[in-house]
Amino acid sequence: MGKPTHLSEADIAEFGRELDAVRDEVMNDLGERDARYIHNILATQRYSEVVGRAMLMAGFLPPAWLGGVGLLSLSKILENMEIGHNVMHGQWDWMNDPALDSGTYEWDNTCPSDQWKHSHNYVHHTFTNIVDLDRDLGYSVLRMSEDQAWEPRFLVQPGIALTLAAFFQWGVALHDLEWERIGKDKSWSEVGVQARGIWGKVRNQLFKDYVAFPLLAGPMAPFVISGNFAANFNRNIWSFMIIFCGHFTDEVEMFDVEETRDEARGQWYLRQLLGSSNLDGSVPFHILSGHLSYQIEHHLFPDMPSHRYREIAPRVQAICERYGLNYNTGPLSKQFGGVVKRILRMSLPHRRKGNTLADESSVDAPVYAEAA
Amino acid sequence: MKPVVKKLLGSPLVGALASPLSVDDYLALIDRRLSLREPRGRVSAVARQTPDSVTLTIEPNDNWTGHRPGQHLLLGVDLDGVRHSRCFSIVSAPGDPLIEVTVKRNGDGRVSNFLVDHAERGQLIYLSPAEGDFCPGPSVPERALLISAGSGITPVMGVLRDWLARDRVQDVVFVHYARSRTDMIYAAELAALDARHPGLRVETVYTAGGGGRIDAAALDGRVPDLAERETWLCGPAGFMDAAEPLIRARSNRPLHREQFAATRREAAHGEGAVQFVKSDIAASGENGSLLEVAEGAGLKPAYGCRMGICHACKCRVSEGTVRDLRTNRVRDVRDTDLQLCIHAAAGDVAVEL
Repeated sequence: MGKPTHLSEADIAEFGRELDAVRDEVMNDLGERDARYIHNILATQRYSEVVGRAMLMAGFLPPAWLGGVGLLSLSKILENMEIGHNVMHGQWDWMNDPALDSGTYEWDNTCPSDQWKHSHNYVHHTFTNIVDLDRDLGYSVLRMSEDQAWEPRFLVQPGIALTLAAFFQWGVALHDLEWERIGKDKSWSEVGVQARGIWGKVRNQLFKDYVAFPLLAGPMAPFVISGNFAANFNRNIWSFMIIFCGHFTDEVEMFDVEETRDEARGQWYLRQLLGSSNLDGSVPFHILSGHLSYQIEHHLFPDMPSHRYREIAPRVQAICERYGLNYNTGPLSKQFGGVVKRILRMSLPHRRKGNTLADESSVDAPVYAEAA
Repeated sequence: MKPVVKKLLGSPLVGALASPLSVDDYLALIDRRLSLREPRGRVSAVARQTPDSVTLTIEPNDNWTGHRPGQHLLLGVDLDGVRHSRCFSIVSAPGDPLIEVTVKRNGDGRVSNFLVDHAERGQLIYLSPAEGDFCPGPSVPERALLISAGSGITPVMGVLRDWLARDRVQDVVFVHYARSRTDMIYAAELAALDARHPGLRVETVYTAGGGGRIDAAALDGRVPDLAERETWLCGPAGFMDAAEPLIRARSNRPLHREQFAATRREAAHGEGAVQFVKSDIAASGENGSLLEVAEGAGLKPAYGCRMGICHACKCRVSEGTVRDLRTNRVRDVRDTDLQLCIHAAAGDVAVEL
């Protein structure tokens, strides 16, 4: 587990400087072309939603229902993956457009944006793949690393993973409650405030998809309800697959708290690189994944407009090669296969490879600085 | 948009259908000028009175609530992907359904220069509500002096047009300082008005043609009865600083002033350390306004006019000592929302960014 030993501290610092240079070059070049890209994506998402919902209103015709589900799924996937997730990372803040402001954007998902920004932008992107700190490592329901202690409940984790995939947005919505901390270092009143936030968002989301649009559809309501459910389901499965391929593939590294203490910039980059994995594919595939198929580039530069990942990936890969570092990429079938294998393998008690981890009691409890 | 359509689209049910996006996000598919609340407009005519200026007529959407004479508004345009907003005086009279502004080329002013060079019919412009109190009351003074220099003519023109529209010009002297005849915006209109209205006397001074800058003798010569006149004054900071004491020494009637961009008293310098609490970044407060310090530290706070007008950069300061760059007043604040663009650190400051 952990970081490679063949690089000196000076090498790692230089590695960091090279990545900084890539970042600076892109960030100084942002302009009209990027604005056009996101405006095209926004228009595509909105047109597909409007047309998709309209087709569902004629859902008694099977082709209309199927087409409607397809377009609404496309819209929800684009909105969550390429728009919402990336806007909330601040990728488009430089445009100074209030409609694309990370501070105020609310996405089409049951998870409220402010809680997402805490659990994802802060906890996950800061403590990526550090066992006990990165709560995305198994989302506190799955065991994804040998360094998570095995418990009998993990025997059923293949089933739990399937359920999580089908209802992924609900898992995401409840994620920031951090249930394992409740009653310990997190008070019930704090949880109450969060729960009210989640309920407010959930209510709006359910009302829209399962009350308002069906009402508008009149006698077509059953087709609209089933179509909306199907689109949400498709989005859930898709985002589950893409996101799990980002950090849980075969060759991905996990880290322990000790080795990541007082990381310098270069070391932070190194952990982001080794803790992430990419997916090969076509341009439409990358767009539908929100460019999380470039998970490595995304973790190195979370606030860089996503379509730029595609352009810098060859350079990042070349830098990795020069430093003898693994650039973990592969087609969806291979990477997702690795994820499935990991979920199955970790469901069984499994010995650590070499017992390098310090006794658990000496590992500091997670420190959650308040980022909100 | 018809009021009934707007009411329907603004209803909670339609809002719920659009949620979590806004109805505006979908209206943009039809026309980006459409909005339920935001004033936006399109350029309906472009005229170039002088080589270095452009006069825009803007057709606002129905969220524009009109203006009073002499007020200004923010015009926002997307330049190289980035929304920039700057402040301009409204020249059209309040009754006019269209908004007229004249923009002069301005050093490194991106918005002004872009509009002068590239403004075209049909262009989308983001608007703000009208602001400012450079306004005559409902009653027009019997005797008035309108005095301006350079692009300062625009709000003063707005005041004059309002009076003319209401047919209330009895005894108005309009003194304007321009560099040269070719450089002067509204020259033709002023000359025509001068000829047509016996109650209006226009005095134009071309400074490049030996007309000289404003001084006591020139003012006494042109406006001997200044003591009886209420005055509206607008121009560059140097002009205003010279004109104001001269006018005040000669008249104790009200003096209305409209000051443009250079509201900052001096180059922005701060002192102390600035802590950006949410992003956990510390920076020296020396270089510029808090907005500039934040940008220098790699943050991307929202901003608009960058001159204290639009409040887009307003941000909570948890505690600290700040200096208002317009007045130089230093004060201690705690949990206060401040416009970052016109405040600098005057000690340690904690900003919630």
